[in-house]
Amino acid sequence: MKKSTSAFVSEFMLYLLLLTGLNGAVWMGTVWMRHQISETAEFTKQTESKLVAVERRLAETTARLASEQSPQTLESKNHELQLGLVRPAELRIVRVAESPERRLAAKRNFQIFTEEVSTGEASVQFTFNEPAIR
Amino acid sequence: MSKGFASSFRLVLLASAVLLCFASVGVRLVHLHVLDRERLVSYVDQARKSVFTEQARRGDIMDVRGDVLATSRTFIQLGVDPHVLREEDSEHWPRLAELIGLPLAELIGVFNHTERVNNAGEIRLVRWAKLMDEVEESTYATILELGIKGVYGNRSYRRTYPRGQLAAHLVGFLNRENQPSGGVESFADFYLRGQDGWRETEKDGRRREMAQFRDREVPANDGFGVVLSIDSMVQHLIETELAYIGETYTPAKASIIVSDAESGFILGLANYPTYDLNEYGRVPMEIQRNTAVTDLLDPGSTFKIVPTAAALERGLVTPSTRFNCSITSMEYKGRVRKFMPDDHSYDHPLSVAEIISKSSNIGAAQLGMALGEQGMYDAAREFGFGEPSGFPLGYESRGLLNPPDQWSALEITRIPAGYSISATPLQIHYSMAVIASGGELLRPQIVREIRDATGETVYHFGGVARRRVLRPEIARQMARMLVGVTEDGTAKAAAIEGYEIAGKTGTAQKLIDGRYSNRHHVGSFVGFFPASHPEVVVTVIVDDARIPGGGVNYGSTVAVPAFRRIAEQLISYLDIKPLVAPEAQPRIAMEGTHW
Repeated sequence: MKKSTSAFVSEFMLYLLLLTGLNGAVWMGTVWMRHQISETAEFTKQTESKLVAVERRLAETTARLASEQSPQTLESKNHELQLGLVRPAELRIVRVAESPERRLAAKRNFQIFTEEVSTGEASVQFTFNEPAIR
Repeated sequence: MSKGFASSFRLVLLASAVLLCFASVGVRLVHLHVLDRERLVSYVDQARKSVFTEQARRGDIMDVRGDVLATSRTFIQLGVDPHVLREEDSEHWPRLAELIGLPLAELIGVFNHTERVNNAGEIRLVRWAKLMDEVEESTYATILELGIKGVYGNRSYRRTYPRGQLAAHLVGFLNRENQPSGGVESFADFYLRGQDGWRETEKDGRRREMAQFRDREVPANDGFGVVLSIDSMVQHLIETELAYIGETYTPAKASIIVSDAESGFILGLANYPTYDLNEYGRVPMEIQRNTAVTDLLDPGSTFKIVPTAAALERGLVTPSTRFNCSITSMEYKGRVRKFMPDDHSYDHPLSVAEIISKSSNIGAAQLGMALGEQGMYDAAREFGFGEPSGFPLGYESRGLLNPPDQWSALEITRIPAGYSISATPLQIHYSMAVIASGGELLRPQIVREIRDATGETVYHFGGVARRRVLRPEIARQMARMLVGVTEDGTAKAAAIEGYEIAGKTGTAQKLIDGRYSNRHHVGSFVGFFPASHPEVVVTVIVDDARIPGGGVNYGSTVAVPAFRRIAEQLISYLDIKPLVAPEAQPRIAMEGTHW
């Protein structure tokens, strides 16, 4: 059975419209995707510039910190604030030749055995309580 | 037979219209993309394509503790377009004036200055008027928050030196054209400068970048950080001492060098006069020169360690060998040679140790004669005189040491005493460092590490010995003899209780108009401590100091006390232990106890 011309055209038009619609949808999708790409790229750019700004502030802070920590500035602050800080002089340094741990332990033990034991007053006293379980 | 939903005519018409639309779009596309392509593409390229350069950040210069000596940061040049200003923003003007430190009246004056007359007499609109040169980022952010339309800034990277004049002669600077000038800035420029990046991208009609069209992107590689061997505190100590010397004695110049005795790394090097690196443009070139490396002077008596050590090394003498130092001349190779006179007369022949401690010119000359001209010359070369030390910064002078065939008859008596030979303060310092290091001539070094942008160490430099000059036992003998200089010799003022200080004074007359002057001297002291296990070598050289009361600038007058003050501070700062621990005198740790 042979199709009439108008039926063929109608069918063709239908496909054409469907194709156009599909094509449009694809292009709309592409446009949306490109928009998303540009938005993401813009966001990345803004993040980058924020990062650069932070790095700039960091560099500024580093420079200011270095300036404030310079011996010259510290000395002038010491003078300005009348802190009276002085450099350590050899005369004021006590050099401990032996092990400091041993010396500190000896000092502590010395206190225990000379004061408490000799006076008979122990700092720790043991007492017998009633049994906990009756 | 199926029947369509529309008449054939209508369908044909609709189909034709749709096809026509497609065809017209197609024709336009062919026109744009094929026929007119070249013109349009070049137009688009010009209008939209652009290449942005990403500036690499120059690396920092740090001291051995990581404290920043030179860094790069941004500054903003703040300006205004007076034609864009709005009346409603005027309430923020006083705050702006306060932020940039400009009187309000002056600020308003700039804002109202909207026209100018150029050289041709034409009236031009002012579209940019500078308000302030160097606005900090934090201040600029506050200014932007004010929202004054028309006030904006241009950002640029600038090198800044947070510690001002500290180690100025070592760090060097970056000039206005961003070209390194002297010091580490110049020497380590390869590491510091980094590599700029770039990206190809497109911009819109408002000249804003469209990030989605970035084609190619090469990120910038920030420069490496350079860690120096100098310690800011040691550097500050010696600069403070130099400032004191400068204020008290107004010398022509002075240098102090402190180095690690074992590795040869420089812990501090300073010259007087000095300058602030942030204001390099305001000081003459003379002051910018690192005179410790470039300028020559006669080493004077500090050079006497060379003939003495060489004679000991070659087995010609022992420390107890004695020489008659009361004579005025001596026959040498068939000719009578006249000695330079000593300051004192001696009632007995001096031992080699005494020649050093008493600094006898006659004794040193006889040691030189024992070595012979060639032997004396070889010894001086071995100790690093007459050749560059290998110090990487600045234009180092090699010194002046003529070969023996050019010596006059008197020079065998002059050179062993440190005359007729010229050297830089650095060469004098490292000749003494030979003894402190146990006999090796060390290379003066200043760069400790190279670090990448994340702070990771990329390369670490170690100490380098140029050659062995003395056997360790001879170096020890020399060190013991040099302790005699501070115990019973010309530098008693350098002695510090509990420490063995070894060193040698030097006083050299200056050559003025071709003649040695009796009024102008270079006084010096080069020493190290503790002598039995040296940790630091310190050199103090003061050129032409004016002694109050008209005295002579002997090494013992200015240089020795300066050395002592520095040494005392280095002892506590570097925690250098005394040779014998002094009797413990509990003062702080045991306070309030029953100990």
